[in-house]
Amino acid sequence: MTIASILELLRNNAALIAVLAPFIGAPLCALMPAGRWASLLAMLAALIAAIAAGDLALRALSAGAAPIAAMNALGLRLDGVGAFAGALIAGLATLVSIAMPAFIGRRASAPYEAGLFLIALSAWLGLAYAGDLVTLFIAAQISTLALAALGALGASADRAAASGAYRQLIAGAIAGALMLIGAALVARASGGTAFDALAEARVAAPGAASIGYGLMIAAFALLAGVAPLHAWMGGYFSRAASFATLAFAAIGAAAQLAALGRICAYAFASPELGEGVSRALLALGLVSVAFGSIQAIGARDVRRLAAYAGAAQAGCVLIAFAMGSPAGFSAGLVQIFALSAAALALTMAAPVPGAITALDGFARRAPFASIAMTIGALSLMGAPLTIGFLGRWRLIEAGVGGGWWWAAGAVIVASLSAVFYCGRLIERLYFRRASVAQTNPHDPWRIFTIPALLCAAAAVLLGVDPAILLAAADASGRFLTGAAP
Amino acid sequence: MTPSALLLLCLGAPLLQALAAAIAPRPPGLRDSLQILMSILFFTAACLVFNAARGGGVARIVLARPLPHVDLAFALEPLGVLMALVISGLGLAHSFHSAAYFRAVGEPAPARVQAFMALTSFAAVALSFSANLFTFFVSYQALILASFPLVAHGGDEEARRAAGVYLATLLAASIGLLLPAIVWTYALTERLEFHAGGLFDAEVSPLTLNILLVLFVLGVAAIALPPVHRWLPSSSVAPYPAAAMIQGVAVTNVGGVGVLKITTYVFGARLSEAWIGAQGLIVLAGAAMCVAALIALSKQDLRERLSYSMMAQSAAVAMGALIALPTGTFAAALQIVAQACAATTLAMAAATIHAATGRTRAADLEGIGRLMPWTFASFALAAASLIGMPPFSGAWAKLWLITAAADAGYLWAGGLAALAAVLTFAHWGPLAAIGLVGRAPADAFKRPDGASILLVAPAILAAIATASLLFLADPIANFLSTIWRGAR
Repeated sequence: MTIASILELLRNNAALIAVLAPFIGAPLCALMPAGRWASLLAMLAALIAAIAAGDLALRALSAGAAPIAAMNALGLRLDGVGAFAGALIAGLATLVSIAMPAFIGRRASAPYEAGLFLIALSAWLGLAYAGDLVTLFIAAQISTLALAALGALGASADRAAASGAYRQLIAGAIAGALMLIGAALVARASGGTAFDALAEARVAAPGAASIGYGLMIAAFALLAGVAPLHAWMGGYFSRAASFATLAFAAIGAAAQLAALGRICAYAFASPELGEGVSRALLALGLVSVAFGSIQAIGARDVRRLAAYAGAAQAGCVLIAFAMGSPAGFSAGLVQIFALSAAALALTMAAPVPGAITALDGFARRAPFASIAMTIGALSLMGAPLTIGFLGRWRLIEAGVGGGWWWAAGAVIVASLSAVFYCGRLIERLYFRRASVAQTNPHDPWRIFTIPALLCAAAAVLLGVDPAILLAAADASGRFLTGAAP
Repeated sequence: MTPSALLLLCLGAPLLQALAAAIAPRPPGLRDSLQILMSILFFTAACLVFNAARGGGVARIVLARPLPHVDLAFALEPLGVLMALVISGLGLAHSFHSAAYFRAVGEPAPARVQAFMALTSFAAVALSFSANLFTFFVSYQALILASFPLVAHGGDEEARRAAGVYLATLLAASIGLLLPAIVWTYALTERLEFHAGGLFDAEVSPLTLNILLVLFVLGVAAIALPPVHRWLPSSSVAPYPAAAMIQGVAVTNVGGVGVLKITTYVFGARLSEAWIGAQGLIVLAGAAMCVAALIALSKQDLRERLSYSMMAQSAAVAMGALIALPTGTFAAALQIVAQACAATTLAMAAATIHAATGRTRAADLEGIGRLMPWTFASFALAAASLIGMPPFSGAWAKLWLITAAADAGYLWAGGLAALAAVLTFAHWGPLAAIGLVGRAPADAFKRPDGASILLVAPAILAAIATASLLFLADPIANFLSTIWRGAR
């Protein structure tokens, strides 16, 4: 066996490696004696997953056939949304893991926290590559449990964290029930749970299938924090351990939205279901834009603000998916990318605790972190030459192209409201002085600012020259249900 | 140097100026010297660009391609070159003046104001040279974000509230109105590149053109047409040099150039088909001219009075741009140049008076002209130009505007412009008169030696520029004529 053939074998099993690397890394992390070693190991596992997922996406979106066939043989399924989301999730996880030591520090629970993060990562990648509804359900449940546990582990430092984690646990339980009933109805109506069967199935009972898909969409919307199903999120973001909220805001929400996108893509494959699914997504998307925007304007905590802004942006993603066209899915994926980059830059760089008044004069105390936050905020606003602008443009363009003017209007409303809440955030960073003596828990030279700055730089660079991102999103949009692009 | 290199230099010089202020905030001597040197570089580059454009030079530089088939690009075109000359020329005088002003009043953070003023100049020039609607939008957003810190600079509650209004009005209009108009245009034409004949082909219905015209004109809120005008009075809380940059040198004028670019390069010959929207906007502009001039009369603070006065002047630009005739376009372009010179002179003179005497209210200016004759003469000359008194340049701009309105059959619009000129006289004329003929106040100066030469000379220079426009109307018309020749 030559090195080339081993490499080829590894590349053909890249999806499995991406899922397994963090899964195997998790118990090893838990066995580590110190938090820093566990963080290092988590970083390594995330990096392996990122390389594997990136390679897989590159091959699948450019050539298609080989990795798709190999994945089908493993019972996984690679489609456009999954390929794009898998690479994004693993890449973001690598950035988050770099910042991990700054968040979990030398706590006694640090090795367990690193392990739980890897389990969550493995589950999120499972959501991207799952080959059937049952695997999807299991991955969603594992990710929720791991994240709730991660949030609760902060309880040693702050008892409120347990309350935040409890909220997520309840949301996960409700989502699990909805998902299970929905999957059962879809399987009953379509004759199976495997995605390849769903893509080609003739739906025997469109009514049951519609309800089933509706329940599954609601479940993933609940997990992704789409308004009005996001009641758990405010408390979770302001109380749970900050590393858990960072992981959810930057990666978890994107993974759940991508899973939702996958479900929708398979539903759109059946002409009988397309219109109903589209309406459900639209209604949910519009409500999410409105609720999320209003709540973000009133938020008094940076992480809550990020959560509600995320809900508004997630609404834009749903509106894009609702179009049901490759252009719509492509726009939705770009929007997910923009949302994740902005959320990572905002939540990673924000001071702890995150009351909005703590931002007063923050630019003087932590200039680099403030730059990252500013770019994140500008991207959320949809400022030109940021990835957020590109996301909005693609969405408006797809909306106008499809004759959905009001959808374009909703996107503009989201941008306008972002001007208010992000403008306020930037104003506090640069134009106010701290009213009380602030401690400086986030030293600007600490390593955690590097991933935030990298993400901010990516938000700008890809906003200026988005050719690679657009090519990937467009290719993903073209093979929505797994047919080679 | 090639025209492309000159264009790049013209765009880069204000950026270097901002960078210099950021990296060398002290000692003050070094900081101010660098600011002035960079201003000279900027003006020289603008003159060279003008020379290249006059010689038929063509340049287009592409910095990036952020969207499929859409470049972030800048191009040499007459309106852009004219604005670059105005912004850099007035910016040169302003850089001397602001340096002296900050020293005179003991400004605690002058480098920050200077850096953001330079960034505002950069964004204004970038917008003027923008080659397409996308670059226009990017530059416009940059202009808003760069000038907003100037309004918020005071840091107190009043400054924060004003900055909030400033940012919210300009950004909301640009995202809520301008961006949809640009995307809609792209969806209709599949291109965004500015073109002398306009972008829209025959398939685009007049109804669509009307809606788009309203979205575009109100979306460029920098021209301060109601109901998106509140940012301009809010900008009065900025320090004097910053207010001069916003109200005189850059932002309001760029709003005018923006609307002119849209009417000439996006609508072109088809502007006449959007006559319902155009007429509605002309009515709005005419009403705004008169009401703003009337409100200015009630304002005692000089910066506030200037802001409302500039609102009236900007509305005149909008009126000229919306009259679908070359004379209207020329009237609007001449009005931009005239109002830029006059408003900057007024703002610098008011700043000089404030720095030397601490007086900011119109009622307190009685007899100040006797103590500061050169400053107040500049003030009076600029006021005469804004009013539209012959033989100053403002008069020719107003005359062309009324002629264009009459030619287009909008005699009532010409009447509104004339009424606004009378009201402008009412808020500047008596003020200039009492300043010059009133009894000189005793102990008016904060320091016995009064205002320094660096505070007085730039205002005089700007006033000379205002007066010399009298002889430049014809060359400006010749230079800009390629716009309407191209449209035909």
